[in-house]
Amino acid sequence: MSSKYGGYMGKFLDIDLSTGDVREYEVSDRLREEYLGSKGLAARILYDTVPRGADPLGPENVLIVNTGPLVGSGAPCTSRFNVSTKSPLTGGVLSSNCGGNFGMFLKRAGLDGILLRGKASSPTWIRIEDGQVELEDASELWGLDTEQTQEKLPKDTGKMVIGPGGEHAVRYACIISQERAAGRGGAGAVMGSKNVKAITAKGKAKVPVANPEKFQADVKKWIHILKSHPATGEMMPAFGTAAFVNRCNETNTLPTHNFKRGSFEQADAISGETLADTLLTSNFGCTSCVIKCGRRVTVDGKDVKGPEFETLGLLGPNIENADLAKICEWNYKADLMGIDTISLGNTLGFAMELTEKGLMDSPLQFGRTEGISQLIEDIAYRRGLGDDLAEGVRVMSEKYGGKDFAMHAKGMEFASYEPRGAVGHGLGYAISNRGGCHIAGGYMIYLEANGPLTMDPLTTHAKPQLTALMQILLDALSDAGSCQFTAFTAVPKQALALQPSGLLYRILAKSLEAFGPAISVMLRYPQALAIVPPMDLLQHPKAISDLTGMKLTFGKYIMVGQRTYLIERMFNLREGITGAQDTLPRRSLEELQTSDPRSRVPLAKMLPAYYRVRGLDRCGEPTRETLDRLGVRA
Amino acid sequence: MPTVKFFATLRQVAGAREIQLEADNVRDLLDRLSTSYEGRMDRYLKISTVLVNGKNVVHMKGKKTKLKPDDEVSIFPPLGGG
Repeated sequence: MSSKYGGYMGKFLDIDLSTGDVREYEVSDRLREEYLGSKGLAARILYDTVPRGADPLGPENVLIVNTGPLVGSGAPCTSRFNVSTKSPLTGGVLSSNCGGNFGMFLKRAGLDGILLRGKASSPTWIRIEDGQVELEDASELWGLDTEQTQEKLPKDTGKMVIGPGGEHAVRYACIISQERAAGRGGAGAVMGSKNVKAITAKGKAKVPVANPEKFQADVKKWIHILKSHPATGEMMPAFGTAAFVNRCNETNTLPTHNFKRGSFEQADAISGETLADTLLTSNFGCTSCVIKCGRRVTVDGKDVKGPEFETLGLLGPNIENADLAKICEWNYKADLMGIDTISLGNTLGFAMELTEKGLMDSPLQFGRTEGISQLIEDIAYRRGLGDDLAEGVRVMSEKYGGKDFAMHAKGMEFASYEPRGAVGHGLGYAISNRGGCHIAGGYMIYLEANGPLTMDPLTTHAKPQLTALMQILLDALSDAGSCQFTAFTAVPKQALALQPSGLLYRILAKSLEAFGPAISVMLRYPQALAIVPPMDLLQHPKAISDLTGMKLTFGKYIMVGQRTYLIERMFNLREGITGAQDTLPRRSLEELQTSDPRSRVPLAKMLPAYYRVRGLDRCGEPTRETLDRLGVRA
Repeated sequence: MPTVKFFATLRQVAGAREIQLEADNVRDLLDRLSTSYEGRMDRYLKISTVLVNGKNVVHMKGKKTKLKPDDEVSIFPPLGGG
């Protein structure tokens, strides 16, 4: 269904792989106003198309690949696409976001998104060109790694592919596009279960712009903001996300020895600084990116993508490894195989502790790197020990025990932030709809440990409300099609000049603890926030408004983020994932990380306030009042 | 004497990962760093977060935070992660 708004191509295709039928999936402008696109819109469509109890790896599951309005518009850092499905790792809703250029190519092909149903009868490559779909035979691609697969596909296309991990239904198999990943939650396994090896897109369509002059001015300003900000314009290009290794280490939030500790004596050996000094050959960015946070390194004489912070943390300190070259090698291997490095590192750490405690018989040992590269391949092909590890920590803990230190929430393994050093971040892991995710959980680590303005990381004051607000803003940003890293300018450079170690920040840091009630009121009555913030404060609503022609006030932007969480939560509830699953393993809840009696996650203290600010009842279910107020239809 | 640990671009400016520097409090330490590095570090010191033994000084007494000889002072410019 076409759109009156700019930013949208007005076409969403519904592809039945069982029959070969291709038809249009109707997306109304009302849905676009309510969810913008990407994660939120896909969650709505998932709710409407996936029957309760569908096997994530069965034909009833649906795989959605879609974009937000900013993608392909020329706005900086907007070359993203979203993959949504029912996760084989958690059994609940999954949204997995990816950089690279596929999102842009999908829009050039004239599409806002595609929806895959059923299952192809044989390995298939979905070829999309100028809005037309062909289902090509992929039997010669099946079995290839992700790099080989992409090399065999037409060069002038955007591509997303799976590797052996997706073909063998590894629960955390990912989708690779160029060298970026839709990493978490097993979307690669779902794609493999449908016998889809690859999707390519190309075309000549242009993204319509409602107010070209205003939008161009917004883009120019936004690029200037990103380039001139110290975080996005200097530090991220130089050190990438890897710079967080040392910051987390200093603040006891770097997972070490399967999240037993929060710091690692040899952390600097695998840090962003050491990477820059030793193995880094250059940085790179996705198409349209001005930050260019990507790392390039050399592995076996080949120029490849280097590791991100998550990979460094979980394949480094979490398994007591200080060999940076090994992490680069494993990162490349995992990408070739098409498996998520976060779940991989977390699962390895768990398996090592199981072995250490005599609960599992394996050659794995903390600090021992021999055999890991082969094991990554064995996981992808589900061979021997790899078959166990391919299941992830939740299933492994059901088989071997060790639930107390199986570091997951809802079945998704924690990201590389130890939550007992930042308790709001722990809350985020617990209430994230897709499981133990740092982003979907609100990325509170930035406000508690790693950002220029930080609160006491171990206080619970205002953390529930701030978690909700951070989640909402990040969800809305994602729905628009923007890269999350554009949010690092939220503390403007002008504010940084007021000295993060100075009195003003000291007052702000303490004041944040009292913000809880104000945030609650704001989120209860977002319509009152009827202005579109200027670009200097928050770039996304204005850019989206001028691109689309929607008047996206700050209040409406917040409501987009609120609806995204709610519809995801409703999907989960329908699948039997209730408030009882808003929890963390015993290691996070009861084991003290240090001698500080506050160094564990007091989840029971924060959860009720979180439910209230989200408009959920005491069991974590959306109230009728909340659903009606936000116009979310069950 | 307190240990000062540099991170990110500060390491290039300092030419070192860490140094020992005598200082009574955080303000004193930052002033001495400015002098020692002849102003080359000022741009970063102004926008950096300062931790003492892993704790942000804004949760202590800010720049008035007193330093002990075995303290570790970590200085981080604004970073991004993922």
